Amino acid sequence: MIISSLLLTLTSSLAWQQADERELVGRVTAYRLDRIETLDGDALTNATVLVQDGIIQRIGKVVIIPGHATVHDLRGTGSVMTPPLVLSHANFLQSDRRDGGNNSRFIAADSLWLSEDWPTSLWRYGVGMVAVDPPGNGAPGRTSVLKVAASEKRPETLVDDLHLKLDMATNSSAKNLIRDGLKAAEAAIENEIQAEKDWKKSRKEWDAKKEEEKKAAEAAKANGEKAKKVKEGDEEQGPPETFEAPGIKDNEQAFVDWVRKERTVQVHMRSASDWLHWMQIMEDREENYEVVFSMGSTTNLHEVIESVVASGVRVDLPARMSFLPYTRNRVNIAAEFVAAGCEKLILSPASNSIAGLRDLRASVSRLIAEGLDQTIALRAITLEPALAVGQEEVMGTIAIGMPASFVIWSGDVFDPLTEVDSLVLDGEEKFNREQFESELLR
Amino acid sequence: MKTILQLILVSVLCVNVNAQDQDSSYLAIVGGDIHTVTDGVIMKGVVLCKDSRILKVGKRVRIPEGAEIINAEGMQVYPGLIAIDASGIVSGRGVAVADSYDPYALNIDLALAGGITTVQTGGMVANLKHGTIDNVLVGPTEWVNLNYSSTSSAGRRRVRDEFSKVRDFMRLHRSWELTSSMGEDAGDEPEAKGVKPEYLSLLKGEATARLSANSLKDLLATCELLEEYPMQSVIFGGQEAWACAGRLGRVNARLVITPRNKKWASDDLNRPSGWTIENAKTLWEHGVKFAILPGENSISLMGLAGRDLMTLPMEAAFAIRGGLQQDAALRAITIDAAEMLGIEHRLGSIEVGKDANIIVCDGDLFHYRSFVQWAVVDGKMMYDKQQSSYFAHIRPRAEEVIDEIEEETIIDAPEVVDNP
Repeated sequence: MIISSLLLTLTSSLAWQQADERELVGRVTAYRLDRIETLDGDALTNATVLVQDGIIQRIGKVVIIPGHATVHDLRGTGSVMTPPLVLSHANFLQSDRRDGGNNSRFIAADSLWLSEDWPTSLWRYGVGMVAVDPPGNGAPGRTSVLKVAASEKRPETLVDDLHLKLDMATNSSAKNLIRDGLKAAEAAIENEIQAEKDWKKSRKEWDAKKEEEKKAAEAAKANGEKAKKVKEGDEEQGPPETFEAPGIKDNEQAFVDWVRKERTVQVHMRSASDWLHWMQIMEDREENYEVVFSMGSTTNLHEVIESVVASGVRVDLPARMSFLPYTRNRVNIAAEFVAAGCEKLILSPASNSIAGLRDLRASVSRLIAEGLDQTIALRAITLEPALAVGQEEVMGTIAIGMPASFVIWSGDVFDPLTEVDSLVLDGEEKFNREQFESELLR
Repeated sequence: MKTILQLILVSVLCVNVNAQDQDSSYLAIVGGDIHTVTDGVIMKGVVLCKDSRILKVGKRVRIPEGAEIINAEGMQVYPGLIAIDASGIVSGRGVAVADSYDPYALNIDLALAGGITTVQTGGMVANLKHGTIDNVLVGPTEWVNLNYSSTSSAGRRRVRDEFSKVRDFMRLHRSWELTSSMGEDAGDEPEAKGVKPEYLSLLKGEATARLSANSLKDLLATCELLEEYPMQSVIFGGQEAWACAGRLGRVNARLVITPRNKKWASDDLNRPSGWTIENAKTLWEHGVKFAILPGENSISLMGLAGRDLMTLPMEAAFAIRGGLQQDAALRAITIDAAEMLGIEHRLGSIEVGKDANIIVCDGDLFHYRSFVQWAVVDGKMMYDKQQSSYFAHIRPRAEEVIDEIEEETIIDAPEVVDNP
């Protein structure tokens, strides 16, 4: 019985293999690993990923590898494959810091400050994509999303102009900036609606007038009168044929988009009271926003976790353990958010720098050791930030049809001793540790 | 003692009224000695708060079902203390105070632990609340700073000149008003040209002058000004006020004093000088109203018995040591301070209809050993000694389970009601 069912499985898989092999021509690479964290369902153990021309075509425990495929058999080494890490707000790649006031006309990608080896410095820590936020307070600009890839000039941006960054603080100037921005945007929208109404009205009146004139001319013609000739250039100018919207000021555009729900705001906060004041501004509003909390190691954020989670907002936390204010009592804010039901959690480097990035996994491992779920933790540094920037089709999961972008780690992702062995973007190996280290030695 | 509490609770629980407003929240402080400030002390009474106001005060008060109950048996209940010029607790100026209000700040918790529920800062009066930024502002204080220091006679003359202009204008305007009210042609209404509007509002009685004077010389100069131009005033300092208390009383001056600010008498002067522990007492005897402020207008964390805002009652206790009656000392940090800020209709005493800012102490407010056990602001519990980490470990409150008391009383109910 068992044998027959086994045979059946074998034959069916053979048949499937034959059907597949016809498709899988061209450059095919197979990765065989002890563990694959797909982020698309459960993790797979002892499984294979088959990549053809930069796209994942097969994934699973039983995958037949075509004869001409290049095979990377890493079974038995303890290697783990995950999607690349994604940074949701890396303003250390930026040059222009804008403090105070509404500078929402600026776009992060326009003032990048990248060294020649910037991709390597991110690859070696497993990063495949970064969202860059303009540094500064007030409304310092709009965020951009970069794929980590070498380029001669400006790096490849996936999105130039994404979220509007706002810096929230417990004071009048920060609050007024946001209130005024919203007020100006609403006025601009109202102004546009009114202009369109006016245009429609004048257009209607113009058409009626023309119709009357036409009738009068016809009547005059019927009476045998000569039609009046109008000199060229003396013709009356009617309203334009198509509606031309009144212009919106550069600094208002991003806020207008936000009010129209065409743009998300990434709001940066430091404390629990910032959240209360933000909620006061957003009281009856329904605009989209996600919150980035950046705090010191002491935090009172636990005071507002319930309220934040109830709002359903995406939360971006620094990956670090905190102390309760004025005590040495440790608190795992990330784990508390998850326990309170937060489903959209991002963990970011605790300090916004390459050094912070280097320590990211080690700090997340501390959070895991002190109560954060490991699967949620991995999601919080890969898929969730990709979702936050709307690039989940580019990176974030290892699934059939997705671009073959992933990291092969030397072991458990959250073991601080684990390193990036290889980073592959769109099927192409961008980083190889052995090669990198031999170059360093040279 | 417990039976009395039970009696109260029983009378409450047995006659539970069902027609309660379901959306409202009730909070009852039961069994403590209530220092109303304006109407004596109610021994073992009940303060019932509804939403943000005081609904009932008395010995027998029905408590609605579902009310939050604070068992204050054996404790002392006071109105929340009011700190004038407490810029070190909440920052900002004017309405910006609400925008820069951090309801999780250490200073707010510690000020509540020190019994302060209301502060004046940046021309604004604010309630101290933990965890919420709703309705924190009580209102603005219409104070005008007057620099009338005796060290600059030219500056003093300038101030008097300004007031003289204002008075001339007011006379002119009054005669114009009278003439036109009699139906005569009085011409155009006189314009307030060259008249400082804030000085005008002072002489009209719409604002309060804020002055500083410590030495007798400065205080007398200030009295002169107030005699010539009567207006509402608050004088900060008043170290040598005891030496001219009668005169301060005649000009209706109000003072903000720091009883522990010391200055030795000067041998060079042929007049009374220096500080005295009896300053507050002397002022009181001469009918001069005053508020009390510690040496620092912030919280310094220099120790429990420091000279910062956490020890406001200790500053007042020092005045009591100098002979001031205890109820007068209590007034100085509650209703009299409220009056100077123009909020005495809302705060400063435990009266029906006033804002429910109440503190419960485990002993006499002016005893060094007493702790604030609970602070209620706007009808909501904002500080509970046992729930916050600062002082919970010091003489922890005996575990008081309200549910148990209620159960007991419910069981005993018929018996007790039959024997009133």
